[in-house]
Amino acid sequence: MVDHLRRIQIQEITLKGVDIVELNEVGGGQLVLSEKYGNTGLSVVTPKSEEEIEQILRTANEEGKKISVMGRGTKRGYGGVKQEYDLVLSLANYKGIIEHIVGDMTVTVRPGTTIAGLQEYLKKYGQMVSIDPSWPEEATIGGVIAANESGPKRLKYGAARDLVIGLRVVYADGSVIRTGGKVVKNVAGYDMNKLFIGSMGTLGVISEITMKLRPLPKFESLVLLSIDEDRLEELKAFTVKLQDSMIEPVSLELVNPSLSKKLLDREEYTLLIAFEDVEKAVRYQEEWVAANKPDAAILSNLSSDESREFWKGFSVIQPNALKENEPADHVLATVKISSKNMQVFDILEEVRRLKQGNKAELDAHGGLGHGLSFIILKGPEESVTSTIASLRVFVRTKQGFTTIKHLPFELRKKIDTWHDNPSYFFLFEGIKRKADPKNTLNYKRFIGGI
Amino acid sequence: MFFTKKKKIPRDPAIEHLAGIVGEKSILYKKEDLLSYDCDGFTIHKAVPKAVVFPKDTAEVAAVVKYCSAHKMPFLARGAGTGLSGGAIPLNGEVIISLVKMKNLLSVDFENRQAVVQPGFVNLKLTNSIADKGYYYAPDPSSQYVCTIGGNVAENAGGAHCLKYGVTTNHILGLEVVLPDGEIIEISENGLPDAPGYDLLGLLTGSEGTLGIVTKITVRILKNPEGKQTVLAYFDDVEDGSQAVSDIISAGIVPAALEMMDKTAIEGVEAGTYPVGHPDDIEALLLIEVDGIIAGIAEQIEEIMNVCRRWNVREVKVAESEEERGRWWANRKTGFGAMGAISPDYLVQDGVIPRSKLPEVLGNIRKISEESELRIANIFHAGDGNLHPLILFDSRKPGETEKALKAGSDCLKACADAGGSITGEHGVGIEKIEEMRFIFTEGELEAQTNVRDVFNPDGLLNSGKLFPTPSRCMDVKKVM
Repeated sequence: MVDHLRRIQIQEITLKGVDIVELNEVGGGQLVLSEKYGNTGLSVVTPKSEEEIEQILRTANEEGKKISVMGRGTKRGYGGVKQEYDLVLSLANYKGIIEHIVGDMTVTVRPGTTIAGLQEYLKKYGQMVSIDPSWPEEATIGGVIAANESGPKRLKYGAARDLVIGLRVVYADGSVIRTGGKVVKNVAGYDMNKLFIGSMGTLGVISEITMKLRPLPKFESLVLLSIDEDRLEELKAFTVKLQDSMIEPVSLELVNPSLSKKLLDREEYTLLIAFEDVEKAVRYQEEWVAANKPDAAILSNLSSDESREFWKGFSVIQPNALKENEPADHVLATVKISSKNMQVFDILEEVRRLKQGNKAELDAHGGLGHGLSFIILKGPEESVTSTIASLRVFVRTKQGFTTIKHLPFELRKKIDTWHDNPSYFFLFEGIKRKADPKNTLNYKRFIGGI
Repeated sequence: MFFTKKKKIPRDPAIEHLAGIVGEKSILYKKEDLLSYDCDGFTIHKAVPKAVVFPKDTAEVAAVVKYCSAHKMPFLARGAGTGLSGGAIPLNGEVIISLVKMKNLLSVDFENRQAVVQPGFVNLKLTNSIADKGYYYAPDPSSQYVCTIGGNVAENAGGAHCLKYGVTTNHILGLEVVLPDGEIIEISENGLPDAPGYDLLGLLTGSEGTLGIVTKITVRILKNPEGKQTVLAYFDDVEDGSQAVSDIISAGIVPAALEMMDKTAIEGVEAGTYPVGHPDDIEALLLIEVDGIIAGIAEQIEEIMNVCRRWNVREVKVAESEEERGRWWANRKTGFGAMGAISPDYLVQDGVIPRSKLPEVLGNIRKISEESELRIANIFHAGDGNLHPLILFDSRKPGETEKALKAGSDCLKACADAGGSITGEHGVGIEKIEEMRFIFTEGELEAQTNVRDVFNPDGLLNSGKLFPTPSRCMDVKKVM
């Protein structure tokens, strides 16, 4: 690994008062910038204050340098057709809680704070940020928000756009704006928070994030319903019935047999039905599932502790650009598909069809109730790319969106990782031009080469 | 003489053309017909439109917009006109595009929990249309029996139940929009999550009709909660009431609604159309609703009642029937209008504060009331810190309207100073333009107008709203 990194050297960029660090220890863990995922840079800076971010951006912008923005780097395989930028700006060292008002249930944090670190801190107060993205130990809140990451509990929790109430953003020219505020309800001016959430760092560097919090659930559990591959229809009928009932699951995630095998050692379709409520309400809902489940489905209940353990395992199934465990001749990819809720069944069935005779492994899960599916592919390059192409064709027939969330750089040059440009793409270009006219930030990282 | 044809009075060519697009029956242009469109729910500022057109579909909206845009004629969209901040007031003699004829429920997809409506569809009608299947649409502004979903999108409307379920923006899945040059775009046509690219759904929602005209809306619908229970609590001390609010939240309960009224507000609602019989000597009341799985509600209600008792509640009770619950809510939801029973005029404000600052800000509002010598009633969504000070005044008394406006602005200043915002759900419109400076710097305002200019480069769509400019600043002062 170290060999890859050697050639990343400090370039002559005049940044007054800012230390350009060599790839060093960041926040206790190693900062890895392998070339495999692109989005690297000739040098790396890890600012420790907003002033430093301002100064770095202003200088780079004036000098026409291009900056790749990242947290700790878990998502470096997500978008981008530039191998190398002039500078990588890592926010991994700009971390910590700025303000937590327990009674208001709001928290303001720096972008480099990891999800796990934040949740660990809030737990002491019986509170949490209601978001459950992948790799919580490594993913930073800034990265999660910039990439609009969510997890299986999105059904109840909502997405980043539902919990961020305010941001501080440093524009490419070094100017700083605040968007939103510190109150949970606010319609003063445009809802500018929304512009930056999911913008892949192309509009500005998020330097502070204020979010609303939720109380930790008083009780939680997870009900697993597994059913034979050929009887998926029965699970579908059950899901329709559940969705039409007054049961309130936090998650209703369908897992394909190969992923179910890895997670639970059951090679069947498994429906993950999570509940969070007071204990009596959770128990009542567990009973409802037991009484209404398809006869052929095997049911098991995981307790609070067991379900937390399960979700921990679930959070590390998607590839992460910081880990490189696959054999050299294998490629790892994650495809994200947006569909209508119930179409998740169609997508998982299509995955089953595509698995036939495929040299690549296809693990898949999708959220009934929010309509996001994720397909994790692992195998020879040729099989992975052709499967992605097939998936894309299928999703088009369903009028869905396909995004490739993780793919090695060499393949991103060949496959567009973003969905087709919408008819209103010119609005995106206009927004980008106003915010970052010199394309200083994450140039070509996002849809349509923005 | 056999002339049956009336002699045609020559009209403004623009009117002629617009009438050609929408039809003679769908345009108003005579002075006397235009007067009822000179303001919306914010009645202090008035201006007469050039014309009002009532398109029946998206194509007609686009044709009207194209015509206006080509002829540099200002225009704006209007729903039911219930907006409280003046967002639909034709400051520049706009052509008003009224969307009330586009009032259909286009489709409901229960399996995927979404519905598609036209912008003129009335908020409450959606819930009523799907109630038989046990579904509802969550955002519930107090005006929900008349206000349109198109207007709700423009204002990012809230309501009493958004504490648990979120405001309009959390329920919008897709939009069809006519851009200010007449181009029609579809954002997330099928209501899918995470449409690739910048989040234009989020940006357009709450943009107060300054970025585009929404012509079709895909919304999320929810299944009714299995059960709900409502608690009414009377306090002799406002401070005790606010402390109870804090403790309910910190007990880890997420109520569906948590509303508060102070003594003056109670006097108003009791004199209004839906009196409940609240005692006339209490200082504050809380209306708290918990919903969800029935098995879990009782213990949460018990905990809420205990919190209230801990804070010296005089009386606390649970609604014993749906009828009683309905009466409590009617009393609360008609609260603004009820002020008419105790004052000739009132001005409603819409500040937001961090919940923990409630006692402090209430104290400051009391001071503003004393200094202005105007009574101020407070109705608020206490759970999310959204205050609605109602400033009672008499416009017949010289100078009192100005005093009321000043008191309203001072209340917003008090909210801003406490780390809050100047509007939680009513929008900025023209009413709070100057107050935008309480919370945003010049650079932050510019970041927003930069975005506006991408959509609305010629400033023909609803201009003069939301953002202060040096010239606008003068206009407002003149009126006041």
